[in-house]
Amino acid sequence: MKLVWKLLRQHISIPQFIGFFFANLFGMFIVLLGFQFYNDVLPVFTSQDSFMKADYLIISKKIGAGSTLSSSSNTFSNSEIEDLKKQSFTKKTAAFTSTEYKVDANMGINGQTILNSELFFESVPDGFLDVSLQDWKYTEGSHEVPIILPRTYINMYNFGFAQSHSLPKISEGLMGMIDFKIFIHGNGHKDEYKGKVIGFSSRLNTILVPQKFMDWSNKLYAPEQHSEPSRLIAEVGNPADENISQYLDKKGYEVDTDKLQAEKTTYFLRMIVTLVMCIGLIISALSFYILMLSIYLLVQKNSSKLENLLLIGYSPRKVALPYQILTIVLNITVFAITWTILYFVRNYYMGIIETLFPQIEDTTMIKSITLGIILLVFVSAINQIAIHRKVMNIWKRKE
Amino acid sequence: MKTITFDKIIPNVFSSQQDIDSEIWNCKAEFEKGKLYLVEAESGKGKSTFCSYILGYRHDYEGTVRFDYAITSEFKVKDWTEIRKKHIAFLFQELRLFPELTAWENVQIKNDITKFKTEKEIKEWFEKLGISDKLESKAGRMSFGQQQRVAMIRALVQPFDFILADEPISHLDDKNSEAMAEIMMNEARRQGAGVIVTSIGKHMELNYDKTYRL
Repeated sequence: MKLVWKLLRQHISIPQFIGFFFANLFGMFIVLLGFQFYNDVLPVFTSQDSFMKADYLIISKKIGAGSTLSSSSNTFSNSEIEDLKKQSFTKKTAAFTSTEYKVDANMGINGQTILNSELFFESVPDGFLDVSLQDWKYTEGSHEVPIILPRTYINMYNFGFAQSHSLPKISEGLMGMIDFKIFIHGNGHKDEYKGKVIGFSSRLNTILVPQKFMDWSNKLYAPEQHSEPSRLIAEVGNPADENISQYLDKKGYEVDTDKLQAEKTTYFLRMIVTLVMCIGLIISALSFYILMLSIYLLVQKNSSKLENLLLIGYSPRKVALPYQILTIVLNITVFAITWTILYFVRNYYMGIIETLFPQIEDTTMIKSITLGIILLVFVSAINQIAIHRKVMNIWKRKE
Repeated sequence: MKTITFDKIIPNVFSSQQDIDSEIWNCKAEFEKGKLYLVEAESGKGKSTFCSYILGYRHDYEGTVRFDYAITSEFKVKDWTEIRKKHIAFLFQELRLFPELTAWENVQIKNDITKFKTEKEIKEWFEKLGISDKLESKAGRMSFGQQQRVAMIRALVQPFDFILADEPISHLDDKNSEAMAEIMMNEARRQGAGVIVTSIGKHMELNYDKTYRL
């Protein structure tokens, strides 16, 4: 084997192989980076709200200049709720209940106050939330209240506050670090509660408490008051049903559109990444072409040697082997280097993404490694077949 | 493998000729293991063609070539590789050595796949043929006569039922051709193999069992 290699490495053009090497490295890196980046960034836009199923609609009335001036109500009356319930597309409907009393809240992290404000809470029936009842349980009279915060709060904190005050960033796993103190007064009572943050929601721009706490506290602190709900939650069979949008338009209602925005962003992200990956693939294909050309040229230049080897008893398989090993080693080296570079580049951009979106789920490189292996195997297999065919042509004395 | 049979073989290049006057073409010619044959030919009579049909790197003919009862035109790549490695040794007229390898490496590259001879045995042959000082010389730098001897050694480092020597001594003096004939015949006898020597004039002085005129 050593002698065969000594013989067949004659005429190997180092510049050609270096050309292939870097072209392929560049192409593969673009392909894998595009793919990895897409996988890493996608959850930012598509992360499902773990507390609410996707086919829930949150419906409110449009607020326009007209309604503000005419002071026409932007709350839902009972008949309006009943009408919505009667529609064929709704499975179940409920209203948001809000606090009728005064709430002051103090949110802090590590003893540092970051928010101190008068707030209000809202609640929806437990059936609309997808949380373990263990966490979402409230016993009447208890001074610990489970709450779900809007994700925007946490983003606001992470971007603006944590960085300038060198405080730790909060992610899903570190919710326990949030101290949330609630002060309620009304109906002659004045009490302090401790809010236990059990999660963040990006679909609900409100602070959510259990329905049970809401009913109990409204009765206790504001027994006389009752206001109409301004938002409804509805479960629908098919959110894309056009009857829904027709009905909403007719009634002058609107739904939260954040989901639609995310879909648009994802669409553009996918388009850009596909474009980038296509460019990478084209570069790789061209580099593959360079490799095949240089191997063909090499076989051509060494064809008399290959022929003599075949005539003294070497099998075509044995004669092709050195060139096949050469291409495999080149391919594997290219992929190994690509992955190494990708690893460091990914660490760099993941640092940035995690600063911006601390709640992002942990993704791994497994997908891009798998894609890399698929490409590696595919490209190497074509190399092997092409080299074998070239040697067989010499066997048949066609070259 | 006991016999090589040429049965009504006509090379395509001769197919238009009506009157082929030959003891091999368009006849039945048989070569048996253990016997010694001389194939004599003038140039242009298809001597190299004859060799290429036996070694299976050309198939442009009518008729059948048989090894024992097997028809060689039906052989697969694998079969031919086996034949070249284990059954038929061939000394090419054009030698087909690798000029960038040394004399020793040229022999070793063959011995690598057959694992047939020891280093000592090979070196003895170099000694006998008077080229032991050329072991480390590049084949491309050696004279044609010296190269012929290296090619002969390379042909012998394998098991064979037949050895085919295409004009083996064209560039050798009498003393060296005798030495060459001796080691070839010794090895052939040791293996009980048949020997087929071709010639266009000058040929090894041996006791041929049969002479064919091509």
